Amino acid sequence: MELFLMTLVTGIMVGGIYALVALGWVLIYKCSGVLNLAMGELTLIGAYVTLTFYEMGMPFIAAVACTMVVGVILGYLTERIFLDKLIGEPILAVIMVTVGLSFFFRGMISFIWGTDTRVFEPPVFALKPITIGFIQVSPVYLWSFILSIVLLIIFVAFFKYTRWGLAMQATADDETAALSLGISARFVYSAAWAIAFISAGVGGALLGNINGINISIGYLGLLVLPAVVLGGLNSVPGAIVGGIIIGILQNLSGTYLDAYFPGGVKEIMPFAFMTVFLLFKPYGLWGWERIERV
Amino acid sequence: MSSVWLPCGVYHETYEQDQGWWQTNFIKFKMILLLAVVFIGIPLFAPEYWIGVATMVGYTAMGALGVQLLIGYTGLITLGHAAFIAVGAYTSTLLVLQFPWPSWMVEAGLAYPTSIVVAAIVAGLWSVLFGLPSAKVKGFYLILTTMAAQFITVDFILTQYISKIGGRGQAFSLPPGTIKFGPIVVDTEREIYYLMAVFVTLMVIVLANLLRSRVGRAWVAIRDNDIAAETLGINVVWYKLLAFFVAGVMGGVAGAFWVSNTAALSPEHFPWFWSLWLVGVILIGGVGSIHGAIFGSVFMVIIMELLQLAVLPLADYYPKLLIDFAFLKESAFGLAICAFLIYEPNGLAYRWWQIKNYFNLWPFSY
Repeated sequence: MELFLMTLVTGIMVGGIYALVALGWVLIYKCSGVLNLAMGELTLIGAYVTLTFYEMGMPFIAAVACTMVVGVILGYLTERIFLDKLIGEPILAVIMVTVGLSFFFRGMISFIWGTDTRVFEPPVFALKPITIGFIQVSPVYLWSFILSIVLLIIFVAFFKYTRWGLAMQATADDETAALSLGISARFVYSAAWAIAFISAGVGGALLGNINGINISIGYLGLLVLPAVVLGGLNSVPGAIVGGIIIGILQNLSGTYLDAYFPGGVKEIMPFAFMTVFLLFKPYGLWGWERIERV
Repeated sequence: MSSVWLPCGVYHETYEQDQGWWQTNFIKFKMILLLAVVFIGIPLFAPEYWIGVATMVGYTAMGALGVQLLIGYTGLITLGHAAFIAVGAYTSTLLVLQFPWPSWMVEAGLAYPTSIVVAAIVAGLWSVLFGLPSAKVKGFYLILTTMAAQFITVDFILTQYISKIGGRGQAFSLPPGTIKFGPIVVDTEREIYYLMAVFVTLMVIVLANLLRSRVGRAWVAIRDNDIAAETLGINVVWYKLLAFFVAGVMGGVAGAFWVSNTAALSPEHFPWFWSLWLVGVILIGGVGSIHGAIFGSVFMVIIMELLQLAVLPLADYYPKLLIDFAFLKESAFGLAICAFLIYEPNGLAYRWWQIKNYFNLWPFSY
């Protein structure tokens, strides 16, 4: 029972990070209709940029803040250079441009930072587990969870209450109507990409603290895709719930199923679960069911 | 309406003529010339190294044709085709290595050909299994289920279970002389090349024939509008699964062929990167045409070889370049996909069509 609770809590905490990255994904999709397959690479970029700033001697929080600034710049440039020209193109073209971007980013990352596993040195978080009630949690997970939740709240508040957030919501809802109200769609698209880079970057930095940074962080970033599909592609609460579900599923299968399989269950489980889940709910939990007409 | 430009004054009078393979003598001559170059010219006159490159082109084309069928003709976007190639390769290898073949079959060189047939069927069925969600889900949701096929098949089943059969560790290796095609032992570059050329030619013929039949028209109808196709009486689920099966069979043959080329097999030969690469190849070549798959393979493989040749002399001065080259290659490939999608969304096949038309109409371009 104790083991189960501990696994569950760790799962929820890792899930918080996935939820943060998933939010960035859903924002891009809602605002500009781009299905982004480069999310894994965005998390990688975030992780490495944070590491670079951290090794320059900055405190971790300051390094994360600098990563956010870099993320905004990169997001703006990516949208302006690559995605801007593809508005209204068929879905395959848009998806494949993001695949092309992911190749480009991954190649560049390996070229600049190499392929060896790097760790945050000195460690950012203490190694001694914290005891809450009767559950022991490693501080990395706890602080990552808290930081993700804070950022999630900030993003959601940004959407609900600020002028820019409302502009983004309007564009997501009905682009033509938003344009007629004087909202600049180009600004909204760039903002969505900037936010995606921020959320993926912070997510990557936090994931990098857990197991060190190498190319497999990109794979963890890819786990965001089953998360958003579980929640439904265009639902913000869906992304958050989906992220947490994936986190829990991954940890539970790692704890309980590893004994029965030779290994690798933890990595595969989210995808296997998602495939089966889609057979029963083809639009995820809260995705819009498109009614198609000829 | 056939897509061939006919000379002035030549008309088709029947549907058979319109759908014919050789519509004019010029086309017949051109295709025979092409076959002669592929089957006689390249193996006789090309140096060994470039024959190896041509084999690689063929292997890419075999995978790309399956992807082209799914994406370009049926509209089912797949990002997991390497999984089916892997299933083909592993089935063939395991059969050759582990199956208790009767000794007369081994001596007659039938073991490998039989294993190719079985590999093709197994890969096709495996592909249908992961195509089942396409009955319900569409678009991005379907893309993710094909991605799941890749991770489940290659990263889990093949790496964790199949690779451990026989206790050989991670990689299977085929002893020399096991790959026999009838009396011929396939072990030199030239023999592998011929095997590749035969397979690619057969696949193109089969695919082209399927596409101009009832099945092909049903696939194209589903691609263009699946609801309209359903109202026309096309059994959408059946034809989608058939597309997955045929694409899987092609992948299986490609995988079984790959075994003869490398003589060793490990799950690293079929990464997710390779699935994406195949989709990139057809995008650069042109979606929705068989030419596209071939052009894309030729273009991508040869460009990468040329880049490699350009880099090799520099490596003496800057040794790290050879390691970093792989990453730069990846980046260049990514940028190439983006550039093609933005500036030439119809791919090389469309450019080829335009050039042909220019010469068909030359010198009076009206």
